[in-house]
Amino acid sequence: MKDRMSFSIVFIIILATVVCSHAAGEQSEKLTVYTVNYPLQYFAERIAENHTKVVFPAPPDVDPAYWTPDSKTIVAYQHADLILLNGANYAKWVNKVSLPQSRLVDTSSGFKEQYIYTKERVTHTHGTEGKHAHENTAFTTWLDFMLAVKQAETVTKALIRKKPELKDTFHNNYAVLKKDLLTIDKEINEIVARNRAIPLIASHPVYGYLSERYGLNIKSVHWEPDEVLTDNQWRELRDILKDHPAQWMIWEGKPHEATIEKLKSMGINSIVLNPCGNVPQQGDFLSVMQENVNYLKLIFMNQ
Amino acid sequence: MFNSFYIAWKYITYNKMKTATLVACITLISFLPMALQLLLNESEKQLMSRAVSTHLIVGAKGSALDLVMNTIYFGDEVPELITMEASGQIMESGFALPIPLYARFKTRGSPIVGTNLDYFEFRDLQVAEGRQIAVLGDCVVGAKVSERLDLNPGDSLVSSPESLFDLAGIYPLKMKVVGVLEKSHTSDDLAVFVDLKTAWVIQGLGHGHQDLTQLNDPTLVLKKTESNVAATAKLYHYQEITKNTIDSFHFHGDLSAYPVTAVIVVPQDSKSGTLLQGRYLQKEEIHQIVKPQEVIEGLLQNIFRIKNVLDTVISVVAIATIMAIVLVFALSLRLRQREIQTIFKLGCRKATVVRLVSAEIFIIVLTSGVLCGAMIFLVNSYSHELVRRLVIR
Repeated sequence: MKDRMSFSIVFIIILATVVCSHAAGEQSEKLTVYTVNYPLQYFAERIAENHTKVVFPAPPDVDPAYWTPDSKTIVAYQHADLILLNGANYAKWVNKVSLPQSRLVDTSSGFKEQYIYTKERVTHTHGTEGKHAHENTAFTTWLDFMLAVKQAETVTKALIRKKPELKDTFHNNYAVLKKDLLTIDKEINEIVARNRAIPLIASHPVYGYLSERYGLNIKSVHWEPDEVLTDNQWRELRDILKDHPAQWMIWEGKPHEATIEKLKSMGINSIVLNPCGNVPQQGDFLSVMQENVNYLKLIFMNQ
Repeated sequence: MFNSFYIAWKYITYNKMKTATLVACITLISFLPMALQLLLNESEKQLMSRAVSTHLIVGAKGSALDLVMNTIYFGDEVPELITMEASGQIMESGFALPIPLYARFKTRGSPIVGTNLDYFEFRDLQVAEGRQIAVLGDCVVGAKVSERLDLNPGDSLVSSPESLFDLAGIYPLKMKVVGVLEKSHTSDDLAVFVDLKTAWVIQGLGHGHQDLTQLNDPTLVLKKTESNVAATAKLYHYQEITKNTIDSFHFHGDLSAYPVTAVIVVPQDSKSGTLLQGRYLQKEEIHQIVKPQEVIEGLLQNIFRIKNVLDTVISVVAIATIMAIVLVFALSLRLRQREIQTIFKLGCRKATVVRLVSAEIFIIVLTSGVLCGAMIFLVNSYSHELVRRLVIR
């Protein structure tokens, strides 16, 4: 009897050790994926579920497009199994650091021909080089939900390449995500179809892809929501309004109350369409986009 | 027997000059072919090991040997440049991992190799001191470079101008040494590694300067119109990439059109490698894909042809030397005729004389053998370094 008892205890210990070591093994086999913005983090998390550790290390109060990681964070990026880049010249710091090419995934490389370019208005000349202007690429690609689907597809392929044994899981999760993104795409199309020609002003040139995909009539200024506007900026707006009589201004974030009031006095309503480049304070990418859709309804349904 | 060796030893020590000459001749004639073979084997080993581990190289059409020597050993002959597009095409094919290399510039006599982090993983190069390159302007140095130039993390290195007379050329770039690599006993020990983009900054393709549209100093502006600002030569281009200047560094145009000297190709498997090679067979293709192993084997065949000539020369010299040695012994026996007669008169047999002469020859050959063995041991111990210094670099 005593022997049986000892045997059972030893057996349980061995079994527990095996189970624990297996679990630890699974834990250590988890992929570490680093991203350069929140939408890619969201896509990767939706597609990979709990099979990967998805890290987007930018602080919550910065615009990831203009953020630069410190050297410790760069080292963390260097050690990731996958580094998901947005492409379209998003996160300019990527061009100034050393990252392993084999682990970089440019999620927008499949639609480079659809990039939207803007040139600096003033060219410059120095040294032996001729006149040149620095070309800017619009980078909020995910606001065109068809492009967002393509980006999610690239993420899926990259994950499968790293973990082929989870191919089915990744594919199924991607299919669900794709459905969600296409639902929003369809909703926006239906909303704006009522009158695509409605003139809109964007406070920042970040809605290029949204405008391109859904045929919106948007002109942009370059205003920050948290800055006090100068006379020159108001003059610029008045100039635009002369041949673009907009009644709505789209903001990335909530502007100053005084700005809202002054715009109102000019007959312009303010609305926030959050591009969601960074982690939202509430909800997730999809809920923020749904909120954006509801704001669009305000513009287009009221006409 | 012992007595014969004793008398032979006494004779040898008495005729020091003759013995020393004989020992030197036999030692050298046996040492030379063996040492040559040893060094050639080591050269082959060193040249081949790096060539074998580098599966394929893509570069511009032209000398395959220059391409391989520059890519593997960072040789001085820079092959025709290709663009990063070649690397992108390989990546897109899905057959292999491309590792672009730009080994064109130098700093204080060491080659600057522009590449990406995959190179370090591919060659299994570890950082012994400091950290890996992280931002534009960082460099890690090979173990030998660190020793030779007494460089440690935190020091700096300035790139050398390509031509001494290029006075109006590109400003040298001051690079920050952030790490020292572990000794790998390969050409990597002799190189300074930077990110490809840093190499492009050295070339002047990427640069940092004040924002021309925000210039307040009128002496910096040559002409200003509504649509263009032309700067004077006074406009300061940053020669060091620091936290304060890094944001102003930029590249013009598409980076895929930027130059590299070669792309190391790491195929997924042998089938992928073969399929990829097939893509470079078309006549209109501007790139060539080479197997470094085949190129180095060709090079070694030439070296072995030279070795055959050397072997023949050594054989002829050896025969002449052996004949001279035989002559020396024959003459010596004739000169020692009176001594041999005395041995006979003492009652010794003819065999005793044979034993005495054999003992002398044995001692001389043995001494030569020991000396030759010691010299071969030395050459063997330093063959790696000797080959590195004499053959590869």
